[in-house]
Amino acid sequence: MNRTALAGVGAALVVAGVVGLGVAQARTDGASAAETTGPSGAPAWLHVRVDEHGKSSKVRVNVPLTVVEAALEAAPSQIVDKGRIKIDLGHDRHDGDEGHDLSLAQMRKIWQSLKDAGDTEIVSVEQEDETVKVARKGDLVQVRVSKPSGEEEVQVDVPVSLVDAVLAGPGDSVDVKMVIRELRARRGDIVRVNDKDSAVRIWIDESAAGEAR
Amino acid sequence: MLKLILATAAALPVAAGATVAATGVAWVDVREGGPNGTRIVVPVPLLAAELASAFVPIPDIASEMGEARQHLGAARKVLDALGESPDGELVRVEDKDETVVIAKEGDTLRVHVSGKNEDIDVNVPLESAAQVIRPDGRIDPAAAVRGLRHARFQTLVEVRDGDDHVKISLW
Repeated sequence: MNRTALAGVGAALVVAGVVGLGVAQARTDGASAAETTGPSGAPAWLHVRVDEHGKSSKVRVNVPLTVVEAALEAAPSQIVDKGRIKIDLGHDRHDGDEGHDLSLAQMRKIWQSLKDAGDTEIVSVEQEDETVKVARKGDLVQVRVSKPSGEEEVQVDVPVSLVDAVLAGPGDSVDVKMVIRELRARRGDIVRVNDKDSAVRIWIDESAAGEAR
Repeated sequence: MLKLILATAAALPVAAGATVAATGVAWVDVREGGPNGTRIVVPVPLLAAELASAFVPIPDIASEMGEARQHLGAARKVLDALGESPDGELVRVEDKDETVVIAKEGDTLRVHVSGKNEDIDVNVPLESAAQVIRPDGRIDPAAAVRGLRHARFQTLVEVRDGDDHVKISLW
Protein backbone atom coordinates (compact mmCIF):
# COMPACT_ATOMS: atom_id res chain seq x y z
CA MET A 1 0.00 0.00 0.00
CA ASN A 2 2.68 2.41 1.02
CA ARG A 3 4.73 1.79 -2.11
CA THR A 4 1.82 2.24 -4.52
CA ALA A 5 0.53 5.27 -2.65
CA LEU A 6 3.99 6.81 -2.72
CA ALA A 7 4.26 6.02 -6.41
CA GLY A 8 0.94 7.77 -7.03
CA VAL A 9 1.90 10.85 -5.01
CA GLY A 10 5.33 10.80 -6.67
CA ALA A 11 3.71 10.81 -10.09
CA ALA A 12 1.51 13.70 -9.03
CA LEU A 13 4.53 15.66 -7.81
CA VAL A 14 6.37 14.97 -11.08
CA VAL A 15 3.41 16.35 -13.05
CA ALA A 16 3.25 19.39 -10.79
CA GLY A 17 7.02 19.78 -10.95
CA VAL A 18 7.07 19.80 -14.75
CA VAL A 19 4.37 22.47 -14.84
CA GLY A 20 6.12 24.41 -12.09
CA LEU A 21 9.46 24.27 -13.90
CA GLY A 22 7.77 25.54 -17.04
CA VAL A 23 6.38 28.50 -15.14
CA ALA A 24 9.69 29.15 -13.37
CA GLN A 25 11.54 29.03 -16.70
CA ALA A 26 9.10 31.46 -18.24
CA ARG A 27 9.58 33.85 -15.30
CA THR A 28 13.39 33.58 -15.48
CA ASP A 29 13.32 34.29 -19.22
CA GLY A 30 11.23 37.39 -18.59
CA ALA A 31 13.58 38.62 -15.87
CA SER A 32 16.77 38.11 -17.85
CA ALA A 33 15.26 39.76 -20.91
CA ALA A 34 14.43 42.80 -18.81
CA GLU A 35 17.96 42.91 -17.40
CA THR A 36 19.77 42.61 -20.73
CA THR A 37 17.67 45.21 -22.45
CA GLY A 38 17.86 47.71 -19.61
CA PRO A 39 19.54 51.05 -20.28
CA SER A 40 23.17 51.54 -19.37
CA GLY A 41 24.22 54.88 -17.97
CA ALA A 42 21.79 57.62 -17.12
CA PRO A 43 18.73 57.58 -19.34
CA ALA A 44 17.08 60.81 -20.44
CA TRP A 45 13.58 61.73 -19.30
CA LEU A 46 11.14 64.12 -20.91
CA HIS A 47 9.20 66.09 -18.30
CA VAL A 48 6.03 68.12 -18.62
CA ARG A 49 4.74 70.33 -15.83
CA VAL A 50 1.46 72.19 -15.96
CA ASP A 51 0.53 74.43 -13.06
CA GLU A 52 -2.59 76.50 -12.89
CA HIS A 53 -2.09 79.71 -10.98
CA GLY A 54 -4.27 80.05 -7.93
CA LYS A 55 -5.62 76.52 -8.23
CA SER A 56 -4.55 73.33 -6.59
CA SER A 57 -4.58 71.39 -9.85
CA LYS A 58 -1.30 70.37 -11.39
CA VAL A 59 -0.10 67.87 -13.94
CA ARG A 60 3.27 66.14 -13.89
CA VAL A 61 4.37 63.85 -16.72
CA ASN A 62 7.75 62.12 -16.73
CA VAL A 63 8.42 59.88 -19.71
CA PRO A 64 11.65 58.06 -20.58
CA LEU A 65 12.90 59.42 -23.90
CA THR A 66 13.09 55.84 -25.18
CA VAL A 67 9.32 55.60 -24.79
CA VAL A 68 8.82 58.90 -26.63
CA GLU A 69 11.04 57.58 -29.42
CA ALA A 70 9.12 54.30 -29.57
CA ALA A 71 5.82 56.17 -29.71
CA LEU A 72 7.03 58.43 -32.50
CA GLU A 73 8.66 55.66 -34.48
CA ALA A 74 5.65 53.40 -34.09
CA ALA A 75 3.08 56.07 -34.91
CA PRO A 76 0.70 55.08 -37.70
CA SER A 77 1.73 55.94 -41.25
CA GLN A 78 -0.87 58.68 -41.63
CA ILE A 79 0.93 60.56 -38.85
CA VAL A 80 4.52 59.54 -39.49
CA ASP A 81 5.55 58.39 -42.94
CA LYS A 82 9.14 57.23 -43.48
CA GLY A 83 10.26 59.00 -40.33
CA ARG A 84 8.61 62.30 -41.24
CA ILE A 85 5.51 64.01 -39.85
CA LYS A 86 3.41 65.64 -42.51
CA ILE A 87 2.41 69.14 -41.46
CA ASP A 88 -0.62 70.91 -42.86
CA LEU A 89 -0.40 74.55 -41.92
CA GLY A 90 -3.53 75.46 -43.82
CA HIS A 91 -1.88 77.14 -46.80
CA ASP A 92 -3.73 74.88 -49.23
CA ARG A 93 -7.16 75.13 -47.65
CA HIS A 94 -10.15 74.56 -49.88
CA ASP A 95 -12.77 76.24 -47.73
CA GLY A 96 -12.31 79.62 -49.35
CA ASP A 97 -10.34 80.93 -46.38
CA GLU A 98 -6.77 81.50 -47.46
CA GLY A 99 -5.62 81.54 -43.86
CA HIS A 100 -2.56 83.38 -42.61
CA ASP A 101 -0.29 80.40 -42.04
CA LEU A 102 3.06 79.91 -43.66
CA SER A 103 3.94 76.61 -45.21
CA LEU A 104 6.72 74.67 -43.54
CA ALA A 105 8.86 75.25 -46.63
CA GLN A 106 8.31 79.00 -46.35
CA MET A 107 9.09 78.94 -42.64
CA ARG A 108 12.23 76.97 -43.37
CA LYS A 109 13.36 79.55 -45.91
CA ILE A 110 12.77 82.44 -43.53
CA TRP A 111 14.46 80.59 -40.68
CA GLN A 112 17.56 79.85 -42.77
CA SER A 113 17.99 83.51 -43.61
CA LEU A 114 17.35 84.69 -40.06
CA LYS A 115 19.16 82.22 -37.89
CA ASP A 116 22.61 83.55 -38.79
CA ALA A 117 21.55 87.11 -38.20
CA GLY A 118 22.03 86.84 -34.44
CA ASP A 119 19.61 88.39 -31.99
CA THR A 120 16.80 89.87 -33.99
CA GLU A 121 13.05 90.31 -34.08
CA ILE A 122 11.75 87.80 -36.59
CA VAL A 123 8.05 88.58 -36.63
CA SER A 124 6.00 91.37 -35.17
CA VAL A 125 2.25 91.42 -35.66
CA GLU A 126 0.36 94.22 -34.00
CA GLN A 127 -3.39 93.89 -33.93
CA GLU A 128 -6.11 95.78 -32.14
CA ASP A 129 -6.43 93.30 -29.31
CA GLU A 130 -2.98 91.79 -29.10
CA THR A 131 0.60 91.95 -30.26
CA VAL A 132 2.57 88.91 -31.32
CA LYS A 133 6.33 89.07 -31.45
CA VAL A 134 8.76 86.33 -32.41
CA ALA A 135 12.41 87.04 -31.76
CA ARG A 136 15.69 85.28 -31.44
CA LYS A 137 17.54 85.99 -28.22
CA GLY A 138 20.73 84.06 -27.69
CA ASP A 139 19.99 80.34 -27.91
CA LEU A 140 16.25 80.85 -27.67
CA VAL A 141 13.44 81.65 -30.02
CA GLN A 142 10.99 83.70 -28.01
CA VAL A 143 7.31 84.13 -28.79
CA ARG A 144 5.48 86.81 -26.88
CA VAL A 145 1.80 87.54 -27.08
CA SER A 146 0.70 90.60 -25.18
CA LYS A 147 -2.37 92.72 -24.70
CA PRO A 148 -2.46 96.49 -25.27
CA SER A 149 -2.48 97.05 -21.51
CA GLY A 150 1.15 95.93 -21.52
CA GLU A 151 0.41 92.80 -19.54
CA GLU A 152 2.31 89.88 -21.04
CA GLU A 153 -0.16 87.10 -21.70
CA VAL A 154 1.88 84.33 -23.24
CA GLN A 155 5.60 83.63 -23.23
CA VAL A 156 6.99 80.74 -25.22
CA ASP A 157 10.72 79.96 -25.27
CA VAL A 158 12.08 77.30 -27.62
CA PRO A 159 15.78 76.47 -28.10
CA VAL A 160 17.23 77.48 -31.48
CA SER A 161 18.68 73.99 -31.96
CA LEU A 162 15.22 72.44 -31.63
CA VAL A 163 13.77 74.85 -34.20
CA ASP A 164 16.71 73.90 -36.43
CA ALA A 165 15.87 70.21 -36.04
CA VAL A 166 12.16 70.75 -36.67
CA LEU A 167 12.84 72.80 -39.78
CA ALA A 168 15.59 70.58 -41.16
CA GLY A 169 15.01 68.77 -44.44
CA PRO A 170 12.86 69.53 -47.46
CA GLY A 171 9.12 69.60 -48.09
CA ASP A 172 6.16 70.12 -45.82
CA SER A 173 7.15 67.52 -43.26
CA VAL A 174 9.20 67.28 -40.09
CA ASP A 175 11.99 64.74 -39.85
CA VAL A 176 11.12 62.91 -36.64
CA LYS A 177 14.48 61.18 -36.43
CA MET A 178 16.27 64.52 -36.61
CA VAL A 179 14.08 65.89 -33.82
CA ILE A 180 14.67 62.77 -31.72
CA ARG A 181 18.43 63.09 -32.26
CA GLU A 182 18.27 66.69 -31.04
CA LEU A 183 16.14 65.75 -28.05
CA ARG A 184 18.48 62.90 -27.18
CA ALA A 185 21.44 65.25 -27.05
CA ARG A 186 19.59 68.03 -25.29
CA ARG A 187 19.41 68.60 -21.54
CA GLY A 188 17.35 71.48 -20.25
CA ASP A 189 14.26 73.38 -21.27
CA ILE A 190 12.51 72.69 -24.54
CA VAL A 191 9.44 74.83 -24.14
CA ARG A 192 8.23 77.21 -21.48
CA VAL A 193 4.81 78.76 -21.75
CA ASN A 194 3.55 81.24 -19.21
CA ASP A 195 0.27 83.02 -19.33
CA LYS A 196 -1.91 84.63 -16.70
CA ASP A 197 -3.72 81.38 -15.91
CA SER A 198 -1.08 78.71 -16.15
CA ALA A 199 2.56 77.77 -16.58
CA VAL A 200 3.72 74.94 -18.79
CA ARG A 201 7.27 73.70 -18.83
CA ILE A 202 8.70 70.89 -20.96
CA TRP A 203 12.29 69.86 -20.42
CA ILE A 204 14.72 66.95 -20.57
CA ASP A 205 17.07 65.79 -17.86
CA GLU A 206 18.44 62.57 -16.42
CA SER A 207 16.26 62.52 -13.35
CA ALA A 208 13.16 60.31 -13.28
CA ALA A 209 11.33 62.67 -10.95
CA GLY A 210 12.45 65.84 -12.71
CA GLU A 211 14.23 68.60 -10.85
CA ALA A 212 12.01 71.33 -9.54
CA ARG A 213 13.34 74.52 -11.03
CA MET B 1 -5.93 -3.66 -7.13
CA LEU B 2 -7.95 -1.70 -4.58
CA LYS B 3 -4.74 -0.19 -3.31
CA LEU B 4 -3.82 0.94 -6.80
CA ILE B 5 -7.24 2.52 -7.32
CA LEU B 6 -6.99 4.29 -3.96
CA ALA B 7 -3.48 5.52 -4.75
CA THR B 8 -4.59 6.80 -8.14
CA ALA B 9 -7.65 8.40 -6.60
CA ALA B 10 -5.42 10.14 -4.07
CA ALA B 11 -2.86 11.15 -6.67
CA LEU B 12 -5.30 12.79 -9.07
CA PRO B 13 -6.56 15.55 -6.73
CA VAL B 14 -3.00 16.14 -5.53
CA ALA B 15 -1.80 16.44 -9.12
CA ALA B 16 -4.71 18.68 -10.05
CA GLY B 17 -4.16 20.85 -6.98
CA ALA B 18 -0.44 21.06 -7.59
CA THR B 19 -0.98 21.96 -11.25
CA VAL B 20 -3.44 24.70 -10.35
CA ALA B 21 -1.04 25.97 -7.68
CA ALA B 22 1.89 25.90 -10.10
CA THR B 23 0.03 27.71 -12.87
CA GLY B 24 -1.57 30.29 -10.60
CA VAL B 25 -4.93 31.30 -9.21
CA ALA B 26 -6.73 34.62 -9.43
CA TRP B 27 -8.72 35.45 -6.29
CA VAL B 28 -11.71 37.67 -6.69
CA ASP B 29 -12.75 39.05 -3.31
CA VAL B 30 -15.85 41.23 -3.12
CA ARG B 31 -16.88 42.68 0.22
CA GLU B 32 -20.04 44.70 0.54
CA GLY B 33 -20.08 47.36 3.23
CA GLY B 34 -22.67 47.73 5.93
CA PRO B 35 -23.88 45.44 8.71
CA ASN B 36 -25.58 43.08 6.26
CA GLY B 37 -22.86 43.27 3.65
CA THR B 38 -21.98 40.05 1.97
CA ARG B 39 -18.58 38.75 1.03
CA ILE B 40 -17.90 36.65 -2.03
CA VAL B 41 -14.55 35.04 -2.71
CA VAL B 42 -14.05 33.27 -6.01
CA PRO B 43 -10.80 31.49 -6.84
CA VAL B 44 -10.23 31.27 -10.60
CA PRO B 45 -7.42 28.97 -11.76
CA LEU B 46 -5.43 30.82 -14.43
CA LEU B 47 -5.21 27.62 -16.43
CA ALA B 48 -9.02 27.49 -16.62
CA ALA B 49 -9.19 31.21 -17.42
CA GLU B 50 -6.63 30.71 -20.17
CA LEU B 51 -8.61 27.84 -21.62
CA ALA B 52 -11.84 29.85 -21.49
CA SER B 53 -10.23 32.92 -23.03
CA ALA B 54 -8.98 30.79 -25.93
CA PHE B 55 -12.61 30.53 -27.04
CA VAL B 56 -13.11 34.29 -27.18
CA PRO B 57 -13.54 35.10 -30.87
CA ILE B 58 -10.63 37.38 -31.79
CA PRO B 59 -12.25 38.89 -34.90
CA ASP B 60 -15.21 40.11 -32.83
CA ILE B 61 -12.92 41.96 -30.45
CA ALA B 62 -11.00 43.47 -33.35
CA SER B 63 -14.15 44.80 -34.99
CA GLU B 64 -15.31 46.28 -31.69
CA MET B 65 -12.10 48.26 -31.42
CA GLY B 66 -12.75 50.34 -34.53
CA GLU B 67 -10.09 52.94 -35.25
CA ALA B 68 -8.13 52.04 -32.12
CA ARG B 69 -7.08 48.81 -33.80
CA GLN B 70 -4.67 50.55 -36.17
CA HIS B 71 -2.74 51.93 -33.19
CA LEU B 72 -2.24 48.54 -31.52
CA GLY B 73 1.13 47.98 -33.17
CA ALA B 74 2.34 51.32 -31.84
CA ALA B 75 0.93 50.52 -28.40
CA ARG B 76 2.84 47.26 -28.28
CA LYS B 77 6.12 48.99 -29.14
CA VAL B 78 5.48 51.64 -26.50
CA LEU B 79 4.75 48.93 -23.91
CA ASP B 80 7.95 47.14 -24.87
CA ALA B 81 9.94 50.37 -24.53
CA LEU B 82 8.25 51.08 -21.21
CA GLY B 83 9.15 47.61 -19.96
CA GLU B 84 12.81 48.28 -20.71
CA SER B 85 12.86 51.80 -19.30
CA PRO B 86 13.87 52.67 -15.73
CA ASP B 87 11.38 52.87 -12.89
CA GLY B 88 9.73 56.14 -12.02
CA GLU B 89 6.55 58.13 -11.62
CA LEU B 90 5.22 58.69 -15.13
CA VAL B 91 2.14 60.77 -14.54
CA ARG B 92 0.73 62.68 -11.60
CA VAL B 93 -2.46 64.68 -11.90
CA GLU B 94 -3.60 66.48 -8.79
CA ASP B 95 -6.94 68.16 -8.64
CA LYS B 96 -8.94 69.55 -5.75
CA ASP B 97 -10.60 66.26 -4.87
CA GLU B 98 -8.69 63.67 -6.81
CA THR B 99 -5.16 62.49 -7.43
CA VAL B 100 -4.11 60.14 -10.20
CA VAL B 101 -0.65 58.61 -10.21
CA ILE B 102 0.78 56.28 -12.83
CA ALA B 103 4.16 54.79 -12.03
CA LYS B 104 6.37 52.09 -13.40
CA GLU B 105 7.82 49.73 -10.83
CA GLY B 106 9.79 46.81 -12.18
CA ASP B 107 7.62 44.91 -14.62
CA THR B 108 4.44 46.53 -13.39
CA LEU B 109 2.58 49.68 -14.32
CA ARG B 110 0.83 50.95 -11.20
CA VAL B 111 -2.20 53.21 -11.46
CA HIS B 112 -3.49 54.79 -8.28
CA VAL B 113 -6.56 56.98 -8.12
CA SER B 114 -7.54 58.49 -4.81
CA GLY B 115 -10.67 60.52 -4.38
CA LYS B 116 -12.84 61.75 -1.54
CA ASN B 117 -14.44 58.41 -0.74
CA GLU B 118 -12.73 56.04 -3.06
CA ASP B 119 -9.34 54.56 -3.72
CA ILE B 120 -8.50 52.58 -6.82
CA ASP B 121 -5.30 50.65 -7.39
CA VAL B 122 -4.66 48.91 -10.69
CA ASN B 123 -1.42 47.05 -11.27
CA VAL B 124 -0.85 46.14 -14.89
CA PRO B 125 1.88 43.56 -15.55
CA LEU B 126 3.64 45.02 -18.60
CA GLU B 127 4.52 41.55 -19.83
CA SER B 128 0.87 40.58 -19.82
CA ALA B 129 -0.26 43.88 -21.39
CA ALA B 130 2.28 43.51 -24.21
CA GLN B 131 1.18 39.94 -24.85
CA VAL B 132 -2.43 41.06 -25.28
CA ILE B 133 -1.36 42.66 -28.54
CA ARG B 134 -0.20 40.16 -31.10
CA PRO B 135 2.58 41.10 -33.56
CA ASP B 136 -0.06 41.31 -36.31
CA GLY B 137 -1.81 44.04 -34.32
CA ARG B 138 -4.71 41.93 -33.06
CA ILE B 139 -5.87 41.29 -29.51
CA ASP B 140 -5.16 37.90 -27.95
CA PRO B 141 -7.06 37.45 -24.66
CA ALA B 142 -5.59 33.99 -24.01
CA ALA B 143 -2.07 35.43 -24.22
CA ALA B 144 -3.09 38.12 -21.75
CA VAL B 145 -4.13 35.51 -19.20
CA ARG B 146 -0.96 33.52 -19.95
CA GLY B 147 1.05 36.68 -19.30
CA LEU B 148 -0.49 36.93 -15.83
CA ARG B 149 1.61 33.95 -14.83
CA HIS B 150 4.56 36.35 -14.82
CA ALA B 151 2.80 38.58 -12.35
CA ARG B 152 1.89 36.20 -9.57
CA PHE B 153 1.72 37.06 -5.87
CA GLN B 154 0.46 40.56 -6.34
CA THR B 155 -2.79 42.49 -6.38
CA LEU B 156 -4.14 43.28 -9.83
CA VAL B 157 -7.06 45.48 -8.89
CA GLU B 158 -8.21 46.91 -5.59
CA VAL B 159 -11.17 49.25 -5.35
CA ARG B 160 -12.40 50.83 -2.11
CA ASP B 161 -15.58 52.78 -2.47
CA GLY B 162 -16.93 53.78 0.91
CA ASP B 163 -17.39 50.52 2.77
CA ASP B 164 -17.35 48.40 -0.37
CA HIS B 165 -14.18 46.63 -1.26
CA VAL B 166 -13.22 44.66 -4.37
CA LYS B 167 -9.88 42.99 -4.75
CA ILE B 168 -8.48 40.77 -7.48
CA SER B 169 -5.15 39.25 -6.63
CA LEU B 170 -2.91 36.63 -8.18
CA TRP B 171 -1.44 33.74 -6.24
